[in-house]
Formats: sequence, C-alpha cells, structure tokens
Amino acid sequence: MQRRMFLILLPLLALALAGPPAALAQKPIRVGFPMPLSGPAALYGDPALKGAQLFVEELNAKGGVLGRKLELLPRDSKANPDEAVRVSRELILKENVDFLVGTLTSAEGPAVSVVAKENKVVFIAPIPKTDQLTAKDKLHPYVFRVAATTTMEGRSIAEIVAKWGVKRIATISFDYAYGQDVTRAFVEHIKKIKPGVEIVDQQWPKLGEADYRPFINAQMAKKPDAVFSSIWGGHFVTFAKQAKPLGYFDAIKYNFIGAGEIAAPETTKAMGAEYPVGIWGNTYDAFYWDAAPAAHHDYTARLARFLKDDAPSSWSIQTYIAMQFLTAAITKAGGTDGDKVAKALLGLSIDTPHGKMTIRAKDHQADRGQLYGKTVKDPKYPFAIMKPLTYVDPAKFMD
Amino acid sequence: MPDPTFLFAQSLSGLTAAMFLFLIASGLSLIFGVLGVLNFAHGSFYMLGAYVAYQLVQVLGRDPAAFWWAALGAACAIAVLGGLVERLLLRHLYAKDVLYQLLFTYALILVLSDAAKVVWGTGQLSIARPPELAGATRVLGTLVPHYELFVLLLGPAIALGFWLLLHRTRAGRFVRAAALDREMLGALGVNVSRLYTSVFVLGSFLAGLGGALIAPAKAIVPGMDVEIIVEAFIVVVIGGLGSFWGTFLGAVIYGQVLSFGILIFPRFSIFSVFALMAVVLILRPWGLLGRPLKT
Amino acid sequence: MSARARVPWGLLGVLAALSVPFLGSRYYTFVATDVAILALFAVSLNLLLGYTGLVSFGHAAYFGVGAYTTGLLMKKAGVPFVLAFPAAGVLAGLLALVFGFFCVRLTKIYFAMLTLAFAQIVWAICFKWNDLTGGEQGMPEIPYPDLAWLERLPLVGELRTSDHFYLLTVVLVALCFWLLRRVVGSPFGRILTTIRENPERAEFIGVHVRRWELLAFVLAGAFAGLAGGLFGIFNRGVFPDFIYWTKSSEVLIMAILGGMGYFYGPAVGALVLLVLNQQITSYTEYWPFVLGSILIVLLFAFPGGLVGALDAGRRRLLRLGRA
Repeated sequence: MQRRMFLILLPLLALALAGPPAALAQKPIRVGFPMPLSGPAALYGDPALKGAQLFVEELNAKGGVLGRKLELLPRDSKANPDEAVRVSRELILKENVDFLVGTLTSAEGPAVSVVAKENKVVFIAPIPKTDQLTAKDKLHPYVFRVAATTTMEGRSIAEIVAKWGVKRIATISFDYAYGQDVTRAFVEHIKKIKPGVEIVDQQWPKLGEADYRPFINAQMAKKPDAVFSSIWGGHFVTFAKQAKPLGYFDAIKYNFIGAGEIAAPETTKAMGAEYPVGIWGNTYDAFYWDAAPAAHHDYTARLARFLKDDAPSSWSIQTYIAMQFLTAAITKAGGTDGDKVAKALLGLSIDTPHGKMTIRAKDHQADRGQLYGKTVKDPKYPFAIMKPLTYVDPAKFMD
Repeated sequence: MPDPTFLFAQSLSGLTAAMFLFLIASGLSLIFGVLGVLNFAHGSFYMLGAYVAYQLVQVLGRDPAAFWWAALGAACAIAVLGGLVERLLLRHLYAKDVLYQLLFTYALILVLSDAAKVVWGTGQLSIARPPELAGATRVLGTLVPHYELFVLLLGPAIALGFWLLLHRTRAGRFVRAAALDREMLGALGVNVSRLYTSVFVLGSFLAGLGGALIAPAKAIVPGMDVEIIVEAFIVVVIGGLGSFWGTFLGAVIYGQVLSFGILIFPRFSIFSVFALMAVVLILRPWGLLGRPLKT
Repeated sequence: MSARARVPWGLLGVLAALSVPFLGSRYYTFVATDVAILALFAVSLNLLLGYTGLVSFGHAAYFGVGAYTTGLLMKKAGVPFVLAFPAAGVLAGLLALVFGFFCVRLTKIYFAMLTLAFAQIVWAICFKWNDLTGGEQGMPEIPYPDLAWLERLPLVGELRTSDHFYLLTVVLVALCFWLLRRVVGSPFGRILTTIRENPERAEFIGVHVRRWELLAFVLAGAFAGLAGGLFGIFNRGVFPDFIYWTKSSEVLIMAILGGMGYFYGPAVGALVLLVLNQQITSYTEYWPFVLGSILIVLLFAFPGGLVGALDAGRRRLLRLGRA
C-alpha cells in the first residue's frame, strides 16, 4: 500500500526539485562556493565567504569581467568531504556554475577536486593545505591552489626555529592529516638544516580535543626547550587557556611556535589579555601589517568597511586572492570555457594585496607565503600583535 | 620513568578533565534517569550557557564579581529555556516512542545552533578567568591553577548536593521513585507532570552552568554543542543510568583512562572514550553502578 | 497485501525510477541515485528498528565498511564490481556478526550505546589508518563499474556514465528491497515482530531471542554494507565521515521521519530528508534552523511518520468513499 504513496510523492518532488528559471540575456558568470558555514569550521568559512563577496561586489560595481557580472553561489559544505562533494555536484549539475572556488579542510579539497576533474570545471582551493591536493598522482588540469601547503608551512617554521638555538624540541598536533603532514614537514626540515636537534616528545590529541591538560602535563614532563604546535585556530584558544595557567609556556620560555594561524588577529582578539604573549605564530593576513605592499593598505580599508570591523578578518584574503586569480584567468582566456581558463591559470602572475603572486605551471600551486612573527603587546591595540611581522616567501622550499 | 610528581600531576590533569565533563554529564544523567529522555540538545543548552555567560560578562563589564553573576544568570536563563521547551513541546511526546523524543532533540540542536550563530556569529569568543582565581598554587611539586582547583572541588560538591537532594528531601524521593516507576507515582497522587518539568529545568540549569563554568577554560565556538554531547552520554552510560555517583565515577575513570592511556599509546586519544565504553558495557551490561533495566 | 495480486506496484515503481535519466537533467539522476542508495540504508536499519525493536546508534559502521570494502577492492585491487559489491555486504555482515554478538546481550539504551561505541571505534580506525583507508582524507576517485556494454544498447546507450550507474543502482536496490521484503514476510520476520512486541514472552514460548536478534543484526548490517558499497562509488570517494555517529543519527532520523512501522517508511524518510536538505541548503545559509523547524512541525503534525500519516489519510478517504 505504501508503495502507492511513494508513487504519488515522486511527481510532487520532481516539481519541488525544478530550479529557478534561467536568467536572461547577458548571463552572469556563476561561481560555486562550497565552504563550511556551520559548525566549528564556520569560524573560518564565514570570513572566507566575506572575502569573496567583497571581491565580487567591487568587481560588479566596476562592470564585471568581459562585460559580465560575477555571481557567487555559496553552499554550506559542513566541513565534511561527503557534503562538500554533494553540494559541489549540485552546484555543477543544477546551478550550472562555471567555476568552483572554495573548501576549507584537507579532506574537502581533494574530494571536490575529483568532482571538478570529472565535470571539467576549474576549481581553485583557497585554504586547504594538504600536499595531496596537488600531489603528482592527484593533479589534473582543473585543480589549483592559492593556499600554502603543509610542506611550505612546516618548512617555513623549521627555518625560524633553526635560529633559536634550541636542542630539545617537542611537537603537539592533532592526530589527522593536516597535523601529521605539517609536523612531518617541520621535523624533516629542521633535522636537515639543524642536525643537532632532538625530538624529545610528540603529543597527538584528537581533532577538537576538549581537554588538553593530560597532553600538556605529559609534554612538560619531557622538559623540551621548544615546542612546535599545529593546534589551529579556535582549538588553540582552548589549548592556550588550559596551558598557560599550568605554567607550560613559562617552562619552555615561550619558545613556542604554532602553525595553523594561531597568531591571526581573530585569535589574539578573542583571547585579549589571556593570550600567551611572547609565543610565535603565523597568519594569512594582518590588518596592522605596516610594511605591506601599498595595495594591502587599500584592501584592508575596504575590507574593514565591508565587514564593519576595524580589525578585519585575516581569512578573507585567501578567497579574495582566489577570486582575483580566477577573474584574471577569465580575462586572459577571453571567456569562461573551462579548458581555456585552466590553461590561462598556468603560470599566471597577478598583483594581490600581498604583492605579486604566481601559479606555477608544474604543480598548479601559487607561491603563497604566510606572515610569521613573535607576538608582543602593543599599546595601540587591546590584544597581542606580531612584531616584527615577516612575510616568509616559500619559493625556495616549495619542492 | 614513573616519577611520583609526574604521576600525580598526570592524574590531576585527568581529574580536572573529568570534573569539567561531570558538570555537563550530571544534568544529562538526571534527565535521562528520571524522564527517560535522551536529550541530545543538552549540548546545545551547554553551548548557550557559555554564550549567555559571555554576553553577561560583556554587559556587567567591570563589576569584580561579573563572572559569577554571569554564570548564575546564564544558568538561570538556560533553566528558563529548558522549562519552556519541556512545557511547550517535549511533554507532548512522553506518551510516544522514545525515538520521537530523540528526533525532537535532534531538531532542537539544529535550531539552537543556528540561533546562536545568528546572535553571536561564528567567531571564537573567550571569557577570562575570574580575577580571584587567576593564580596558581604549587601542590606536591605540581602547579595547580586556582580555577581548576575550584572546579575540582565543585564537581564533588555538586554530586554531594545532588545526593542530599535525592536522598534527604521529599521531592528527591519522588524523583527517585519516578526513575523507577512513573505510573505508580502518578497513582499515588504525585503531580508527575510538574515533577518532570522541575527535573528538566534543573537539568537545563546544570547544562547552562556547565557551559558558563567551562568558558574560562575553553573557547566558545560554534559546534561546541555537538562536540561534547557524545562524550557526556558515554560518561553517563559507563556509570549506569539513573545513578548519580555512577556518572561521577564514569567521569573520573574516563579522565584517568585518557590521562594514562596517552602515556602508553600516544595516539590513543581518539579511541579512549569509546574503547572504555565498549569494555565497560561488555563486562557490565548496565554500567558500573546501574541496575538492570526493566523491559 | 491483496493489492500485490492486482497491480504490480513494485514493478511500476522500478520502471518509474528507471525513467529518471530520460528526463534530461543530470541533476535529477544525481538526486535519484542519492535517494535510492540512502533509502536502502534506511530500510536496512528498519529491520532492526521497526521490525525487531532494537535501536542502533551505530548503523553507519556497516554502511562505511561496505563503502571501504567496495572502494578498496575496485580502486586498489582492480577487482570488478560484480565481486566488489557483494563483498561489501559480506564484510559488513561479518563485522555485524562480531559486534552484534556483544550487542544483543544488552537491552535498550545500553544496546544502542554499545553499537555507537563499536561504530566509533571503526570510525577511529578508518580515520587513522592512513596507508589503507587514506585516513581523514579518505579515498577519492573510486572508479565507476565497467558498464561499457550498456553503451551498445539502444536508448540506454546515449546516456552518461553516471546515468548508467544510476540504472544499475536502481536494479540492485530494487533487488535488495525484494529480498528484504521476503525476509520480513517470512516466518523469521514474524519471529522478529514477536520479539519486538514482548521479548520475555518470545523467550517463554521457546524463541531463542538473542540468536534471532543477532541474525537480524547481521542482515541489517549486510544490507547497509551493500548500500555503502554503492554510495562510495556514487559519492566519488569514501571518507571516514560515512561512519561517524552523525551519519548514524541521520539514518535514524530518516527511518523515524518516514515511519518505522512501514517497510517503505524509511525510504520515504530518506527521500524527504535528502530533498529537504538539498533544497534548503541551496536557498539559505541558515539551513539548520529551517530544517530543524520543519522536522519539529512534521514530528508534531505526523506522529507515526510520513507514511503513517499518508496511510491514515488514505484509509479515511476510502471510508468516505464507501459511505
């Protein structure tokens, strides 16, 4: 009996599934934007979306690209590869997007890359760092990345730590792809450039651990001189709030360096006076970067206005640059044909708010560095900033 | 390797983790034990407790006791929310299969998480430790932060308070009786419906309080609702349903297993709580201090 | 079910489903494949939930293991689909046998929590075993089954690979439904219902409750594994998220929403939840709020699930018609 109900439901659903009617005349260029917009990763997904929206708004105000407007179609990927694949296919099959820009986690990126390859849609990943995304066996003509890779990030940090003159180094990272990869890159590189160092302890809390105290205590017992961490973003806030009162940072004399944007203005702002000032960290962007290229000041001012925040987010830059690359490639290709745009992206150089950047033809990877520095208190701000702020150009250790 | 100071410090850090978890799990256990409701939205109440506390700290600003007022205010606000949810919606589902309650609380998680996102955005928020507990004391060669010490004492205090409430008051006897046989209680002329509301309000109060109290030791971020709920459930189940001391014991054991597990198997963290639950349930099918369920 | 004799509804349903690719939209095929596979997943859960009265919080474990089995065999070992697909059911069934052995000793919520614990352990293993499963990043790019022979057929030959896979999915899912229907209609199915109604009584009249529960658990696991095997291919990759507890709760929600008391109830639940999710997420970023509110409304408006409500409505109409 219920089967009959099922049959009645089918046409109704078909009706519900029918999308909105196609736009008329000069159709906008549609860009699908899968990004975590709910759950813990929304912390980064949300400002990332804002960066792309800023770019699109400005571009459309100037008349768009090749006389056509850009249209951004954001979808919540829920930081889950399964869902990221689902929404990407929906964007391609139902919304007929011309391009995909987005994804955040190291699992989402490679998963969506497969969809892009099968549907021959250009896909630019602005944030996932995993080496896998552009590894030789995974690379295909349609995938590109404008984020730093785990290799680049781990090695950049090793270069910094090598100058500290420390011997006993410990690591603490989440036990999953990003944590493992960036830690491996760091350990291998520091052992190479500084043969005397010893890795005395490695702690592997699970991703999103609620209580780091047992790990912190176990690590202190090994008496390291310095610590490399890749406990990222909001997790670092929890980590630091638990570690600081336990005397963890004092014990290692603040010889602590964190990958995963732990010195981003969002994070130091959230923690205010609680931030373990004196540690080292990195960020994608910093609104207070005085030595930045001229374009950066302008970008920061516009972003601040767009977000209505004087200390705007550091994550927006990633999607902004991704959209810049995409638009430049469309212009160069003279249209939205996937194959032509993909070819145009190879070796493409553009001027970003962080200076000139190039997508290498050989591995589709942009030479995107990050800002590193030691955190200090500055009377100008009620939260810690990095000073001096150094843009580490990854060019020499990309391979 | 077993340096006694280190072992003490390690067990203490496990215990601290346990007490924070107990704060959340106690309310869950209460609701679970009495109403028989698997309140998956308990994590949402806990998250909202943290957010409301954050908001109140901002409002109260420079008041020296701002944090404490905020924690209390948040707990009360969540208690009211819990009462509304129970009165307006949940109570209509008691007569139905327990699974409909589950579906309801699942939907509630979705609604509440989005509501929090609309109000507080997706950014990470943080509450500073109250100034009088910002320091730390050295105990047996180990640095123990005062706030952690406070939570270490608060956990047992709450457990004890509950024990007294359940065993030394009339209302407590009804609550215990309701956990055993609700029809009988109704037949005896007890207003079961009001009792249920009170228990749900109390459970929600604890969730809100837990959220507020954990905030000085944890970032307030979207997703903290779902993050905690499974672990809290597991602690309740390990201890045995309807047993308050069981929940306490479950939390303590979990803390120690995590603490010492990572010394033996450094990559054990991801398995710890589930492995523990599987072992406990295989050996003791109704938890450590639970009674066999009626079928 | 006297209707079966008159109108072959099942066959009509399959034919209707098979016609989806000819509607011309790749998107319809995409959604229909998703629905068909998850419908099988939800119906397999209902063998435990609706028929035996056992609540599993860890059903995604078998779905995921099935997905990994088929995925690994096809991607890494180059095993053809005809072998890799049944292997998913076999391996998931074996795993269910091992876990079920312990689980059926427990009752009610303890049973549910132990299924959850086992599932999470399986998840942790898949999440961590980088060499075999690809760890957290999973295994992207599972090949499609070789359906080149379909291209030589008239009509069907014009379709795309994803359409061909959909046709295969419909046939396999229909086959699984047919098998599962035979199971619940058999004396075994009636034993399960007896157990659900009153396990003590069942034990008393000589039913070896645990053994039958275990068999139901294994069957449910095996069919979930088959669904998983298809899903990994459809999803173009297998990820540990397939096993995470949120997936188990999703399928539980599908079954409850659609109606546990009906064979096809969970399938309707899968259809409704997937389409709602798909539609809402494409209109608003605030999908959790909208979806949550709709679920609450449905829950209060249709106690007994959607199919239950439809069934009740139909009966009322029939009564009106007769009057």
